[in-house]
Amino acid sequence: MGASVDKTTETAFEPLLQFDMEMEDFLSDWHHCDHVSSYLARMISHNRTDPVRHSNFFSSALNELLEVSFRGGTTDGKIGLSIYRQGTTERVQLSFPCPPGQARFYREAVSKTRDSDAQARYLDAISNDLAPSRESVLLDLAVNYDARLRLDEDAAPAITLIVDLPLEGMVS
Amino acid sequence: MIAAGLPQRFKVDFDPNSQIFSLAGTIRPRSIDEIAESIHALREAINAVRGVLYIDVKRLIQINNTAFQAFIRVALDACRERSDLRLIVVTSSVVSWTTRMFRHLSTIEPQISVEVYDSMFYPGQDYFEDTSFIPILRAQTKLTWRHERTLLPRHGMRPGIAVADICCGIGDFAVLAQKEFQPSRIVALDHSKPSLAYARKVAAEFGVTGIEYTYGDASEMLLEDNQFDFVSCRHSLQVFNQPELLLKELYRIVKPGGRVYITNEKNSHCLGEPRAQSIQWTYNELARLLSSFEIDVEFGPKSRRYLADTGFDDILVESFMVTNLDGDPQDFADIIAGWEKMFADMAVRHGEAPEFIERFRQGFQDHIFAALHPKGYAGWPIWAASGRKPL
Repeated sequence: MGASVDKTTETAFEPLLQFDMEMEDFLSDWHHCDHVSSYLARMISHNRTDPVRHSNFFSSALNELLEVSFRGGTTDGKIGLSIYRQGTTERVQLSFPCPPGQARFYREAVSKTRDSDAQARYLDAISNDLAPSRESVLLDLAVNYDARLRLDEDAAPAITLIVDLPLEGMVS
Repeated sequence: MIAAGLPQRFKVDFDPNSQIFSLAGTIRPRSIDEIAESIHALREAINAVRGVLYIDVKRLIQINNTAFQAFIRVALDACRERSDLRLIVVTSSVVSWTTRMFRHLSTIEPQISVEVYDSMFYPGQDYFEDTSFIPILRAQTKLTWRHERTLLPRHGMRPGIAVADICCGIGDFAVLAQKEFQPSRIVALDHSKPSLAYARKVAAEFGVTGIEYTYGDASEMLLEDNQFDFVSCRHSLQVFNQPELLLKELYRIVKPGGRVYITNEKNSHCLGEPRAQSIQWTYNELARLLSSFEIDVEFGPKSRRYLADTGFDDILVESFMVTNLDGDPQDFADIIAGWEKMFADMAVRHGEAPEFIERFRQGFQDHIFAALHPKGYAGWPIWAASGRKPL
């Protein structure tokens, strides 16, 4: 049932932009996460009710996703980023190659973002951990950005994180 | 194109007198090591205070989870070690996600509370942002635009450029500027949500698209550095109690070679004939009254000094007189009637005597009389100034 709902919404999302980069180039500089997230956020926010604040908010979420791919990705292949829109929600589809066996980690981490104890897990992580894990970053998106996350593993060894961000309603 | 930016664009500051530790800018490190000094500074600040430490993140534009978790680790550990310590995190209503992120701290640790800063941005704000003042603001722009549309090109306004109108109020100047000059991009920022709602409604009704209206604090904007060719800030420096802070922000967002354009008044130079003396008295008193609200309606001729002190060069200053002869005299009279109501209210709240209020009101009524008199003349002088950000 989940899959059919997702397929229906998929068709209703309008594509806004697509961005590809060789993973090796992307991983050559940490600041690519900051630059790409800020630049793309500005592009897709221009026709939101409050473009500046939407861009700031969106950049914040997108940067975290890019940092996840930076920390967990491998140099073979490309990082692909597509952004779609449906009403007050933007969908980010982020594909990147990762080491064998990592798909399971992401599957579990994404699944935890949808559990009823997601907030408790997040609070526990920020209370006790010295540095954020990729799992707590995904929980942050679910808790602080009301994001809904999914994982697509069709193009293994690459994985695709699909993240719906209903930020327009939160900004305005 | 991805612009190459500075790796870390943030500032950390501790004011021991007010016990405020502030984080500002964009903090997105790869590892905690990159922000070790700042983490240490927070630890030192906590050690230096007794009682309450304010952690001010109002100007925090971005922070990633790596930095967030490192800073809160210090805060949480300190609270566990010291039962006397209270931490108050001050977020801004402008950067909505910071409140969502930091609010969890008060759940985790009762010694930490989170306050959202979204009330007064300057002392006289509640008077100037009363929605009943909107028709007066519209009438003012209608009359000043007759002059500004011809002088704006001398100050750097031209088609195809990126423009920001800071403290845009109800957004009418942005609409007029867009229609007249067709900029490639126009951002209009204000800290009044009702004014922005009005601006968006008017733009929608008139089919005006492309103006990026945004909610923000003009002295702490989210807009990036060096973004605009032309930045306007009209009738606003005079109402802020710290105009130099605002000018610094305008300087920051304009491109090198771009210009910042400001307009301000010198209300004691409002004039009229007949009944000149009564009018003169009231406007002199108005300047005195407003100074007690930290509003400087005599700012106009000071524009050159303020622009120079901020670092602008090629400063251009000129003045123009809005008069009852600029179209329908009733428009001018309506503005003065609006002023009479608003400023008499302020005088009452300031505790002025009834005799004073009566004479004070009379000057405005005489100004209206002069404006509507068949042989009368009534004027409202404005200083328009601009400076270029050096290349």
